[in-house]
Amino acid sequence: MTKFLQLLSSGVALGAIYALVCLGFVIIYKATGVINFAQGAFVVVGAFLVFNFTQTWGLPFYPSILLAMAVMAVIGVVVERLILRRMVGQPVFAVILVTFGLLIVMEHGANAIWGYTLLPVGDPWGLRTVALGDVMVRVIDLWRVTLGAVVLGAFFLFFRYSRMGVAMRATAFDAEAAIAQGISARRVFALSWAIAGVVAVVAGVLLAGGGRGVDVSLGFIALRALPAMILGGLDSPGGSVVGGLIIGVTEVMTAGYINPAYGDIVGQNFHVVMPYIVMILIMMVRPYGLFGTKEVVRI
Amino acid sequence: MHQLTRSLPGRLLAAMFALALLAAACGNGDDGDDTTQATPSPDATPGEPEPVPGFDGTTIRVGVVTPLSGPAAIIGLPLTAGNRVWFEHVNAQGGIAGRYRIEMVEADNQYIADETITQYNRIKSDVVMFAQILGTPPTQAVLPLLRQDNIVASPASLDADWVREQNLLPIGGPYQIQMINGADYYLRTEGSTDSVICAMIQDDPYGAAGLEGLEFAAGELGFEITTVARYTAGDQDFTGQLSQLRDNNCEAVFLVAIPSDSVRIWGAAATLGYAPRWLGQSPTWLTAFAGGDLAPYLEENLWIIAEGAEWGDESVPGMAEMIEHQEQYAPDQEPDIYFVFGYAQARAVTAVLERAVELGDLSREGIIAAMNDLDRLEFEGLSGDYPWGPPEERDPPRESSIFGVNADRPAGLEGLEINFASDAARAFEFD
Repeated sequence: MTKFLQLLSSGVALGAIYALVCLGFVIIYKATGVINFAQGAFVVVGAFLVFNFTQTWGLPFYPSILLAMAVMAVIGVVVERLILRRMVGQPVFAVILVTFGLLIVMEHGANAIWGYTLLPVGDPWGLRTVALGDVMVRVIDLWRVTLGAVVLGAFFLFFRYSRMGVAMRATAFDAEAAIAQGISARRVFALSWAIAGVVAVVAGVLLAGGGRGVDVSLGFIALRALPAMILGGLDSPGGSVVGGLIIGVTEVMTAGYINPAYGDIVGQNFHVVMPYIVMILIMMVRPYGLFGTKEVVRI
Repeated sequence: MHQLTRSLPGRLLAAMFALALLAAACGNGDDGDDTTQATPSPDATPGEPEPVPGFDGTTIRVGVVTPLSGPAAIIGLPLTAGNRVWFEHVNAQGGIAGRYRIEMVEADNQYIADETITQYNRIKSDVVMFAQILGTPPTQAVLPLLRQDNIVASPASLDADWVREQNLLPIGGPYQIQMINGADYYLRTEGSTDSVICAMIQDDPYGAAGLEGLEFAAGELGFEITTVARYTAGDQDFTGQLSQLRDNNCEAVFLVAIPSDSVRIWGAAATLGYAPRWLGQSPTWLTAFAGGDLAPYLEENLWIIAEGAEWGDESVPGMAEMIEHQEQYAPDQEPDIYFVFGYAQARAVTAVLERAVELGDLSREGIIAAMNDLDRLEFEGLSGDYPWGPPEERDPPRESSIFGVNADRPAGLEGLEINFASDAARAFEFD
């Protein structure tokens, strides 16, 4: 039972990270209909900025996060203004390719600026753990789960009750109709990219903390999080969280139980495959994801 | 009126698949020093090499295909810096054979096999040979092309499979030797044949090479490998694998990983309170680890199996010379075991080119002939000397060094036993 709880704890923490990364994808998709493959690079750059604020300039950790969020919000707006805005009206596939190119450019830029070695973000959590019965839980994992819940709650409130949140939903649903109602689609797009930058800082810090450090490989998490995003539903913040948790727990449980017992049959790295199997199975039943919105077209 | 329900995720999956396809498609100097790099055969015939691809009559160009970006850049960049420092030193002495400048043509393979092939094909016509191809999977990928094109490459990879390859110029004791000597050291110091010995490996050819060595050691030294936990490069959580090791009471775990993964594996182990004796192959280490939150755990539990002396140990002639050159040509270079490898590798490349110039032929065939004509590659203690010759006569060094973690030492490593060769390592045969 202890092993199960330990794996469950790690799986939930991993799922929370996936969820935070997915939320960055979702916010942009929800507002613009674009899958932003550069979100992984946003995560990397956000964490590198925290490194600069805490280590290079000696600022306290939490103010450093806020400063990094501000910088990433600006970067998000600039990316939208200079690049993505010019792609409005272009085929979705072309826009996706542009974000993919952006990912490559930002990763190489990060390499050039910050180098290749692991850099600390100066988090206070380190390797500290707390014992919950026989289960050792990392303090950073508690933060991952807590902040995941906080960000999700903030998203929910934002989309449900704020004028801009409603404007974003309206723009995503029908941009022309929204514009006709006086909503500034440009502001909506810019804001969504800014929010994606802010969320990326949270994800980046929580990934790089706990003794790991930040380097460009941090961005690979975005690719691992894709099944969670698809499974949860591309336009659903809540779906991101549920999808993240399902994929995180599935991955860790598979590594803990199935690989050792059946690795000779299914392969020793079945934990990498299993999330995709779960995703496929769920999508066979719900093709738009667990909480995704059906797209209905009248003909 | 009909309604059609379109699946957004389905379209996304199609786009992702297309993107994946797109991503897959894109893809001694005899310098007056008193160090000897290679011992040529005595019947050398002097001559003036003709211009060939990669040699215009004045400059010799060599290729470097290495991860300059991505997670393995953490290895590729310092290793390439080591290459560069040695070649700058050679050029300062007048170049290869005191006559021909040497230039590196660098290409980024991101530690991806397919990308390695792309970059290899892009620059192969501009170079006489490859001074570095980093990584076991990339080297495996490009090997058929090397054979087909008759080009020589020096792998920055310690796989035993390279030893008998006509087109490869490996240096150092292979991973298999590292594991065997690591097991020998563990049994002589902390463990016994009754100890529960396990492995955690990256599930690819690099991991398989390390496991092969550990399995050989088990047979020679009389212990059992209780558990082999595997992971995929890029995994974000290792609780499952670590639980597997802990459930089986593994007392010693041999780790085959690259630094971006090893740091998370050790970090997860530390936070789970799991503290076996870790023995990491040389590519698991990064100097930065000695200064981070993990340092106390690593100082207590980790040994690194590598080669050569501690950084800065100037009692070792090769190290003293390297430090002198590093201070001259790369003064900002931090102590780094991969830099040492790259520096030693460039020495071996220079030895081959010197011999080729001596024989008057820098063509691809000429370089292979020159390489086969060398009797020994010597590294003055930076790495084990390598009895050389035609592929069937090559005999890799059997020495390894065991390092403990010590943040006060350069590169964060303190020599525990330097350049020893176990009987089991000597018994390992290379097919």
